[in-house]
Amino acid sequence: MKLYEAMWGVRCVWLRYFDVFRKSLGYYLVTTFAEPFLYLLAFGFGVGSLIGSLESNGAEVSYRSFVFSGILGQTLLFQGFYEASYGGFVRMYYQRIFQAMAVTPITLSEVLWGELLWDASKATLAAVIIAAIGVATRDFPLYAPLVVIPVAFPAALLFAGLGLAVAARSRTIEEISYPQYLLVFPMFLFCGVFFPVERLPAALQWLAWALPLTPVNSLMRTLTLGFPFQWWSVPILAAWLVLLVAWSRRAMFGRLVK
Amino acid sequence: MSQPPLRVVHLTKRYRTQDGFLEAVSDVSFEVRAGECFGLLGPNGAGKTTAIHCITGFYPPSSGAVFIEGVDVRAEPKRARQALGVCAQEDTLDTDFRVFDQLVRHATFFRVPGADAARRARSLLERFGIADKAGELVESLSGGMKRRLQVARALVAQPRVLVLDEPTTGLDPGMRRSLWEILVEERAKGAAILLCTHYMEEAERLCDRIALIDSGSIRDVGAPATLIEHHMGTGNVEEELRPGVVWRRAPNLEDVYLRLTGAKLHERNSA
Repeated sequence: MKLYEAMWGVRCVWLRYFDVFRKSLGYYLVTTFAEPFLYLLAFGFGVGSLIGSLESNGAEVSYRSFVFSGILGQTLLFQGFYEASYGGFVRMYYQRIFQAMAVTPITLSEVLWGELLWDASKATLAAVIIAAIGVATRDFPLYAPLVVIPVAFPAALLFAGLGLAVAARSRTIEEISYPQYLLVFPMFLFCGVFFPVERLPAALQWLAWALPLTPVNSLMRTLTLGFPFQWWSVPILAAWLVLLVAWSRRAMFGRLVK
Repeated sequence: MSQPPLRVVHLTKRYRTQDGFLEAVSDVSFEVRAGECFGLLGPNGAGKTTAIHCITGFYPPSSGAVFIEGVDVRAEPKRARQALGVCAQEDTLDTDFRVFDQLVRHATFFRVPGADAARRARSLLERFGIADKAGELVESLSGGMKRRLQVARALVAQPRVLVLDEPTTGLDPGMRRSLWEILVEERAKGAAILLCTHYMEEAERLCDRIALIDSGSIRDVGAPATLIEHHMGTGNVEEELRPGVVWRRAPNLEDVYLRLTGAKLHERNSA
């Protein structure tokens, strides 16, 4: 009964976000897809036409397909992180809607789950649509938009956890720039979106594998391009997921509740 | 005998600050009956808002308990808050929604069916004089309209316990009086109202009983007239308007507060 009640509360919060999304669909479509689409055009079609194909993890694939798959991970990272960090900060600090919802029959715990699950849902939707574009350009197999979901959703949840924790720990909205430039951008550049991680020096490869985007990209390439399965991606991803989601909730409780 | 809609029992709230621990609320007890408006009167920093955060279940109390219609807010927050309407001191309106949609969305958090929520939202917007703004974005409203919308939102689930933290801050005198009329109507319908304010006139006009709160502690509780008579007597008090000009007038709650705490209602701003 308690679980059912909690799920009802989380669903109310999720539906609140969905309602806002539905009412501003045009805005969201442009802001969600403009960036990955530009990366696809510039790197996939532009740089891809120069490079041709490459070998990674024992498989040979066109550079465009390689980048296309990396853009899936990048989309999950950016969409999950930005929605939860900047969006979460606005909702917590300026709108104070976490506080408004948490004095109704919805608890703060449910509000935060609703926030995280919505952020993950939105990022997953973006990744599924990018995968569908990959199907249209014949870079991915027909089933790609469906099979990416089981990895995309937890990965998006993980990055949303990072974003919400950052929102909770930032005194001002400008402070979100620190982890953005010191963690998110380096992940974007060095965790296998644009080139195989094995091309990095050995020490940096270890570092790249310790960060959550590398296992996400590895699993995405297994699912969309048939790359060999790197089993250690799963425990790394699971560990980050548990850690970041727990940290985000603890940090937000600490920020809001005395 | 039935439970009072709101019962606060030995509520204490301590929290860590940069300088150590602060006891923002100290052993506060009171109850609010159905059809009663109970005031928490004190200056900014007296502990009113922290007390409200504990009463709504947003902050866990360090000790003590709060019961809404007999249900412990900490133990069963969802059930307890089903009867609760809250208007926070700060602006907590959801600016992602238009005025009408905001009320309907908020009602869904209380399981109010959609058609009922829409009917109530229309009625409340009419009652609060902002029906013509139903389709507007919240950001386009004036400060006074936003405040009225926030009180309207607190009423959308037809709460039996209404907690209002400085609801008339920022309203002009006319808007303030019209909001008072609405609160009087809600009280007449049987709602138990907890009103936190630092406006003496508001407390005197609306509240059946008042708790004078200072540094987190209740210094005295009673009907406004009783408090004034008990602490100030029935004679006039002298107030020096400017050097050499003394005004003799009837005592008020400000005088009572000054006598009990040594501070004026608009003076303290520390916690």
